[in-house]
Amino acid sequence: MLQVLIQGLLLSGLYALIAVGFTLIFSVGRVLNLAYGAYLLIGGYAYFYFAQTLGMPKFAGVLMAGIFGCVLGLLKFQLIVKPLKGNHVAIEISTLILAVFLQSTVIFVFGDSSKILLPIIPGVERVAGAAIPFSNLFAAIASWIILLSLWWFVRSTHMGRAMQAVSMDAKGAAISGVDANRVNMFTWGLSGALGAIAGVFFASYTQLYPGMWVAPLIIAVAVVIVGGIGSIIGTLIVAHIVGFLEILTSAYIAPELRGVFTMLLIIVILVWRPSGLFGREEL
Amino acid sequence: MAMLDIKNLNAFYGKAQALHDVSLSVEEGSIIAIVGANGAGKSTLLDSIMGLTQFTGDIHLDGRSIASARTRDIVASGVGYAPERFNLFPYMTVRDNLMVGAYTARGDISRNLDMVYRLFPRLKEREKQETSSQSGGERQMVSLGRALMSSPRLLIVDEPTIGLAPKVCLEIAEVLKRLRDDFSLTVLITEQNANFALSLAEQVQVLESGQLVASGTPAELSSDERLAAAYFGHA
Ligand SMILES: Nc1ncnc2c1ncn2[C@@H]1O[C@H](COP(=O)(O)OP(=O)(O)O)[C@@H](O)[C@H]1O
Ligand SMILES: [Mg+2]
Repeated sequence: MLQVLIQGLLLSGLYALIAVGFTLIFSVGRVLNLAYGAYLLIGGYAYFYFAQTLGMPKFAGVLMAGIFGCVLGLLKFQLIVKPLKGNHVAIEISTLILAVFLQSTVIFVFGDSSKILLPIIPGVERVAGAAIPFSNLFAAIASWIILLSLWWFVRSTHMGRAMQAVSMDAKGAAISGVDANRVNMFTWGLSGALGAIAGVFFASYTQLYPGMWVAPLIIAVAVVIVGGIGSIIGTLIVAHIVGFLEILTSAYIAPELRGVFTMLLIIVILVWRPSGLFGREEL
Repeated sequence: MAMLDIKNLNAFYGKAQALHDVSLSVEEGSIIAIVGANGAGKSTLLDSIMGLTQFTGDIHLDGRSIASARTRDIVASGVGYAPERFNLFPYMTVRDNLMVGAYTARGDISRNLDMVYRLFPRLKEREKQETSSQSGGERQMVSLGRALMSSPRLLIVDEPTIGLAPKVCLEIAEVLKRLRDDFSLTVLITEQNANFALSLAEQVQVLESGQLVASGTPAELSSDERLAAAYFGHA
């Protein structure tokens, strides 16, 4: 029981971090960024390359992952989202293609086989019969710190309030002097950095492999659809629903089914409450 | 030199033309009203000043053309806009709505916030409320307050009294007068409610089907049938 609780909390913190970058873009730009998982992929491999292949300090590796994700996000906004302004189907198709393209690029550069990331912090603690790797604990705590900082940022800074404003009323934001283009750029860069850092943690949780963008994308989509919202608190709540659902499934039903119930949950919510549990898309 | 000078403005929604050759100037320190029926083009005119429509013609602010300026630069050069439907941020508090208004005037926040709360004590009492839970009158106050947070010298208000109770209309009129008299703002409003416009403004322009058809002081216009024609039903 305690074991399930601890594992659930650790996994959910990570899921919240995975989802928050996706919901940011969904709220501020009203774009379903189906290439979101590619940030995690790029982040994981950037960390692998800089921290493990080149042997840079681990913190620098995480930083490089964040920078790569940020740049990828900015490029995506400038080269795909802005030119396709408002054409949602075209944006979704192109972002999906971009993800597949990045997967091929990763295979080309790093090969097809999966890679093991060395733990960010080595060591394991046994709690109530559960082995808790320090890495996972660190990932969960780091996720929480990042989410809290983000929550503070969005509420207490001019740029953060501008992000909320653009998500709630574009004209109201414009006549307040907010430049939506700049806010969107900022949000895409931030989303990319968050996704890439989440990718480092996610890869150290599981493993690093070229198809690593699909599972996180499903988690992120699940959180958006189940929550129906872009609020950071809502993301946290729903990430815990999804995270605990997975842990409970693998503990009491079968580990192989853990992801299946997340997808079932998406379908149930889509049919039962299309606007999500909270029925709000604004930040 | 007029503070705001609009020359031969033609505004379009796709192929449909909503304004025809509108020319208008607003002197610094005055209160000007544009009166017209629903659909006359009042909101289009104000949106055009803010750079939010497709238009031809020229608009000068303090002698500088703002016709191709970005909205944020127009706001930063001293134009505050309180639009017809308010366009507030519904899930943000009153205070945060005001803070977004300060986006281009961060150095003046405490002074402007103080002014807004003095003009609208009710907003101070409800500063922690989300605007989605507020009445029409309160939303109008938040909208005006948000516009004032950008330190404007020209305040543009689209139908300040629409949907408001008579008592609240008087309150708003009082505030607009104070803004001109005590804070030396220039005020441009639109109205369907001609009585409100005539009682407040020194200069009234009548807009009909996208064209300015009459202008004058309230005394000159109160007996003008073109004014009656422009807002019949509201006399
Ligand atoms: N977004 C829009 N798209 C197309 N036509 C519009 C739009 N907004 C206004 N119009 C048209 O432009 C004209 C002027 O509208 P508007 O400026 O809203 O008038 P008013 O504010 O005086 O009621 C009307 O004929 C209206 O139907
Ligand atoms: Mg109007």
